[in-house]
Amino acid sequence: MSVVVACRDLGRTFETDAVPVHALRGVDFELASGEWVSLAGPSGSGKSTLLHLIGGLDRPSRGDVAVDGVELAALGDAALADLRLRKIGFVFQAYNLVPVLSALENVEFILQLQGVAAAERRRRAKEALAALGLADMAGRRPGELSGGQQQRVAIARAIVTEPVLLLADEPTANLDAGTTEELLQVLRELNQQRGVTILTATHDPTVMSYTSRRVNLRDGRIAPA
Amino acid sequence: MSGYAPTQQATSPGGRLPLRLLAQLAWRNLGRHRRRNGMLLGAIALAVAGVLLLNTMLRGMEGEIREVVLDNLTGHVKVLGQGYLADPGIEHGFQLPADWPQGLGSEELFGWAARLRVPAVVMSERETRGVELVGVDPRREDISFLGRATVTGERLAGTDDRRLLLGRALLEQLQTAVGRRVVLVTQGADGRAREVGYRVAGVYESDFRALEKVFAFTGAAALQQTLGTNAVTEVSVRLARAADDNAQAATASALATAFADLAVLPWQELAPQAAAMVAMADFGVFIYFAVVMGALVFGLINAMATAVMERVREMGMLRAVGMRPGAVVAQVMLECSLIMALGVALGLAVALAVFATVADGIDLRAFDLDKSLEQLGMRANFIPVLTVADVVLVVVMSLALGAVASLFPALRAVRIPPLVALTGGRGERGAKRRQRGATDKAP
Repeated sequence: MSVVVACRDLGRTFETDAVPVHALRGVDFELASGEWVSLAGPSGSGKSTLLHLIGGLDRPSRGDVAVDGVELAALGDAALADLRLRKIGFVFQAYNLVPVLSALENVEFILQLQGVAAAERRRRAKEALAALGLADMAGRRPGELSGGQQQRVAIARAIVTEPVLLLADEPTANLDAGTTEELLQVLRELNQQRGVTILTATHDPTVMSYTSRRVNLRDGRIAPA
Repeated sequence: MSGYAPTQQATSPGGRLPLRLLAQLAWRNLGRHRRRNGMLLGAIALAVAGVLLLNTMLRGMEGEIREVVLDNLTGHVKVLGQGYLADPGIEHGFQLPADWPQGLGSEELFGWAARLRVPAVVMSERETRGVELVGVDPRREDISFLGRATVTGERLAGTDDRRLLLGRALLEQLQTAVGRRVVLVTQGADGRAREVGYRVAGVYESDFRALEKVFAFTGAAALQQTLGTNAVTEVSVRLARAADDNAQAATASALATAFADLAVLPWQELAPQAAAMVAMADFGVFIYFAVVMGALVFGLINAMATAVMERVREMGMLRAVGMRPGAVVAQVMLECSLIMALGVALGLAVALAVFATVADGIDLRAFDLDKSLEQLGMRANFIPVLTVADVVLVVVMSLALGAVASLFPALRAVRIPPLVALTGGRGERGAKRRQRGATDKAP
């Protein structure tokens, strides 16, 4: 299996007014294609920081990150934006849908950013929504959808570009137990049937039970299993 | 690890601005905060309508002042004997060239009139007044107020008419009447005083009582005979209303050729105070625009900056999923410009609607302003003027100002780090501080 994410001696230090905060202290980590890995650990252990660095949303203080063979340190802001647009799908804890766009438009707009032709992107967006059981909700705006439905739209938005990597930061934190199970089933199908590589930062044992591998972080380091 | 080729990505379709998406977002976001955006739209519309309407008043005022000066025996360009302005008298008279008015063939020419104007004293049985006695050819005076003035009694019949046409105000001062005789005393070409009796043929009424007190008219040829001369003291040339400065300059040039050694003066030099007021009206539109729209821009910046800060997480998400910084700037600028464009369109509609109701003129006598306006050289009933050029100017300046004003919130939006989307919008400042603090300090 090919390596989708490779982190080498990854460190991240935040300068604060008082003392420097070492969020990551030399992490070596690899994620193979087709894996679904959960990053676990207590608050402040560095799992979100690691996710941000892998997603190109933050830059490391030391070490290297490569996504699908692309070294992120070499990229400027615009190139990083392009990389996120084409290779990475994001699922956020708070859904982060655009409230003035319908569910279909929320999925479609990312293809618009990619410059996909109108007919093609409309077809793909509809397919993505249908795959997540939201074909009937395409015309609804986020305010007219439940939390679970909004998170499904967010997942549809994340996978519609067929990214090599799906990053999910606490994707079930705002959902009830029933909706969490439904959503994890959806992610499992994506992972097992479509081969989408997923990296999830979570506190939730239910999420961890669905993933193929678990990486524990403690005080900015990978803790032994 | 292999290197990434960002240039290939940057030149792909995804690297271009997704204008349709940005326009869609900008349009939909307008309905997001209806009350705030509605108030903003109203303020912009009010400001634009106000500036435009004020501008129509200024243009009307400007046109009015110019027309009054042109009407007041001045014309666009006047030929005078050297020294006449300092010492107006028959000794500064001049002969019309034999081939006159050959060479004056301007397409913009409305008309010309040669006059003999001398200072005189007019006496009735009861009063004596100083006047300017003007010998005219009545057929040529359609270029001045005299041609359109209301006359009670009879108008002058021709250049040989030896009767007198007095203004209503002067007639009242002299306590005389149409058909009665008055005596005029002036100086002849030989330097001797002339004392001549005139019958009052008629009385004219002008919009300005000052004019009625100053000018007394008689036939030019008759006056020349009285003064013992065949000279005139001025040639006044009036151009068509649409004539521009170039036409005026061309006419002045033609007159300078025809009347070598004489003074050829444009109306701006003959009435510098009025010319200054016209110039001020020209500049006024920029001053009003700067004051009104300048104040409005702060409101626009504030509203847009607030809108951006309310959408920190959304902006962060857009950045996180791959929207380029330039596209974020474009989105905010587009949104801001759209509000401005709608406000301008609304303001334009309001201005046109209001203008339609006053286009025939505003009678300021109702506000008891006629005497004040007369001192400014304006008639009490003046017509506001709306020009396409002014509308275009205000619209273009408003849109340009909107675009400039949108830069601040747009740049603020682009500084929102994508990380904010993942941190659930918590502490944008903290995220920025953390980004700034990305040092190479290893733990």
